[in-house]
Amino acid sequence: MPNASKRILVGTAIALLAAAILVFPSLAPNPYILSSGVLVLNYAVLATSWNFVGGFTGYISLGHGALAGLGGYATGLLVVKAGLPSFAALAVAALLVAALAVPLGMAALRVRGASFVIVSIALVLILLLVFQSWASFTGGSRGLVVPRPFDLSRPEHHRVFYYLFAVLLAIAVLAWWLIDRSRFGLGLKSIREDEDKAEALGTPTFAYKLIVFVVSAGFTALAGGLYALWFGDLDPVFQFSILTGSYLVLMALLGGVRNLFGPVAGAILVGTALEYFKVEYGDTPLHLVATGVLLALVVLFMPDGVLPAIGDLLKRLDRTKKSSIREVTAAELAEQRKAAV
Amino acid sequence: MLLFQSILLGLLLGGLYALLASGLTLYFGIMRVVMIAHSAFLILAAYLAWWMHDRIGVDPLLSMVVTVPLFFAAGVGLQRLLLTRLRPATLTMMSVLLTFAIALTVEGLLGYAFTGTQRRVQLGYSSASFEIFGARIAVVKLIAFVLAVIALSGLYVLMKRTRFGWALRATIQHRDAARLLGIDTERVAGYGFGIGLATAAVGGTALSLDTTIYPSLHWHWIGPLMAIIVVGGLGSVPGAAAAAMVLGMAQSLLQIPMGTTWAQTVFYVALFATLAFRPQGFFGGRLAQRF
Amino acid sequence: MSLATHELRKAFGGVTALDGATVDFHPGKVNALIGPNGSGKTTYFNCVTGMIKPDSGRVTYKDRDLTGKAPHRIARAGLGRTFQLCRTFPRMTALENVLAAVPHGGLRSFRTRSDIERAMSWLTRLGIEHLARSEARDMSWGQQKLLELAGVLMAEPETVLLDEPAGGVNPALLDRIGTLIRELNAEGRTFVIVEHNMDLVMSISDHIVVFDRGRPIAEGPPSVIRSDERVLGAYLGV
Repeated sequence: MPNASKRILVGTAIALLAAAILVFPSLAPNPYILSSGVLVLNYAVLATSWNFVGGFTGYISLGHGALAGLGGYATGLLVVKAGLPSFAALAVAALLVAALAVPLGMAALRVRGASFVIVSIALVLILLLVFQSWASFTGGSRGLVVPRPFDLSRPEHHRVFYYLFAVLLAIAVLAWWLIDRSRFGLGLKSIREDEDKAEALGTPTFAYKLIVFVVSAGFTALAGGLYALWFGDLDPVFQFSILTGSYLVLMALLGGVRNLFGPVAGAILVGTALEYFKVEYGDTPLHLVATGVLLALVVLFMPDGVLPAIGDLLKRLDRTKKSSIREVTAAELAEQRKAAV
Repeated sequence: MLLFQSILLGLLLGGLYALLASGLTLYFGIMRVVMIAHSAFLILAAYLAWWMHDRIGVDPLLSMVVTVPLFFAAGVGLQRLLLTRLRPATLTMMSVLLTFAIALTVEGLLGYAFTGTQRRVQLGYSSASFEIFGARIAVVKLIAFVLAVIALSGLYVLMKRTRFGWALRATIQHRDAARLLGIDTERVAGYGFGIGLATAAVGGTALSLDTTIYPSLHWHWIGPLMAIIVVGGLGSVPGAAAAAMVLGMAQSLLQIPMGTTWAQTVFYVALFATLAFRPQGFFGGRLAQRF
Repeated sequence: MSLATHELRKAFGGVTALDGATVDFHPGKVNALIGPNGSGKTTYFNCVTGMIKPDSGRVTYKDRDLTGKAPHRIARAGLGRTFQLCRTFPRMTALENVLAAVPHGGLRSFRTRSDIERAMSWLTRLGIEHLARSEARDMSWGQQKLLELAGVLMAEPETVLLDEPAGGVNPALLDRIGTLIRELNAEGRTFVIVEHNMDLVMSISDHIVVFDRGRPIAEGPPSVIRSDERVLGAYLGV
């Protein structure tokens, strides 16, 4: 049974991935590597959160970096200015950002893709402007120091947050999976494929897009807030950088937006590369060039992602082994009937 | 007097906005492409103007002899070689990513070639200014405005008076119908892109006259420009020009009570308000309804 | 009274596409909407199904005013439609294409047994059940047309609007589509069909409405329409 073997394969892959993520802290040779691991997991959560919108509906947001930054600042400000306990602040911040996503989505999602992208970029630019200029409230360019939630040594601090990010990643992935298999998710995917057609079949497209955008914003804000509690220092230039959003898009596209673990795989790939290049070559403008060229190549030649491209290749190799395509579909049909009845 | 000066400055600024936004509108009209890299090319042109002045010693205005044809060719190439490769079904989204990637690449290369140092063209007439009814206007700002007006008028004549302009408008309004009329829409689209990018070359030269430039400056331009084309009604050149004038003026006037930084928010407020209450824009542009 | 429009008007720029279209379709029948190219048939469909908003006039269905309602509300009111150039969800399997028409979202799995059985029975009825797991983009034109129809039927509409069901299909498939429409009609579904293939129209319709320049110029059973001079005039441009 091809279905069962596939399921075992997928199960094993997930178990291996989970094990690798969980074991990493005890293998990390020094706190710096561990902190890089935290950053990569942060990217994994962000890319998965991005993929709620990008993967299901096909609407590409370049502004999710700003939503994360907003989550970070909201968390920080709630701790610093309102005196909330760290994790209560995190939860409230995520709710606030999700609430803000409602009017944003109303403006951006009522019409088709182009205005969504424009709004997403505008969001980054306007938030950078506001958070830099409103120094009395946000700390401006001096930054905002967020007190650490635990009194721990540096390696321990990293370790705890590493696992916190891993938990958040698990929740985000689970939520994505739940939607993926649901009627709601099928509706979203039909919007991605043909929005007019989906609407003509009775899918309330605007409401669906709005809901999933809000969910995505909530998860993004959680990741951003957790980052703020971990890193402890926020600077508008980095929190509201257009680059963050483009990294997320690159990760998700690279890994494949239609796959549950695509964004995670892309985040591990790109995140590791980013950290590596930062250590080896420092911060150079060539970062931008590399990101730009890579993004262009993916968009032009592998818009469905690298993982799916490899998958397709394997499938094609597999197919040549079998005698005919017709037979495969017939076998699959019998399989289908068994599953259905 | 301050008020009058602000109005004049707003008018001058609006002219440049109008020129640049008309380029963006052309791309959108032709292919439903939101061209994020437009302002990156603007800064590139400004850098080229600065470089030629700094190294070769020619007046920045003369750099257009090189940059305008160069950018035109680059625009044609961009459309024919890259954008046509994208699947039509996902063109709008993927073209945004592609042009975004190009913007990043251009910014990175500028940073690599010229470092992140801020640059400024120093000309004999840089600090010259004149007075009109008590308002003090820098000569270079006027030159920039005149450049923008000339380029816009040229564009207008091209669109309304020439056979190519007729073909371009037909392609924008109804591609299939244009094809039925015997128009080679692919070629027209390519040239349309070239013209769009050529406006960035003119705009960049104008910009270099009175602005300090640095590689990431293009992000300060793309936001307002995108706001302008949305407010103007995506795909409508006169709409974009009108929105550019209104918003440029508003920005200039708001600088008095709010300061330069906060005055910029007027673009984003206008963008959100337009999308929330009148997504088809305020100046024509029926295309926008479905995008 | 089922689907009806009153004085529907729509202009694009300076071009009038619909010029006061007042039409009353017969419930429980196969209605056909014919007319020369550019006579406003597809615009009419798009106005009725909410894809574009008419400038003025009313759309009513079972005495409910549907004018200017969102397309999904009109679909939920019991009006299903296909598109002129058939449209499916390319990167979804045939089964998923049909399941996407199940109303009411929520986080329940879309692969519930009863839904899959119903979807499979529609695919079987249209003769494409062997393609259930193929992605729509890998299917032939004719198969995609059948798939689109299966999706529309899955939503259980009482009235089905078909925009050129015979467009681009081979004669064998044409026969099958014709028979299918009659069968589905016999089960109680009302049909409104825009079609250029006169053989198909004349053989399956009970009631024909002829459009010219954005408004109906004649209506009646096939036998009457066949000999109507205004119809001939509209088609021949006399």
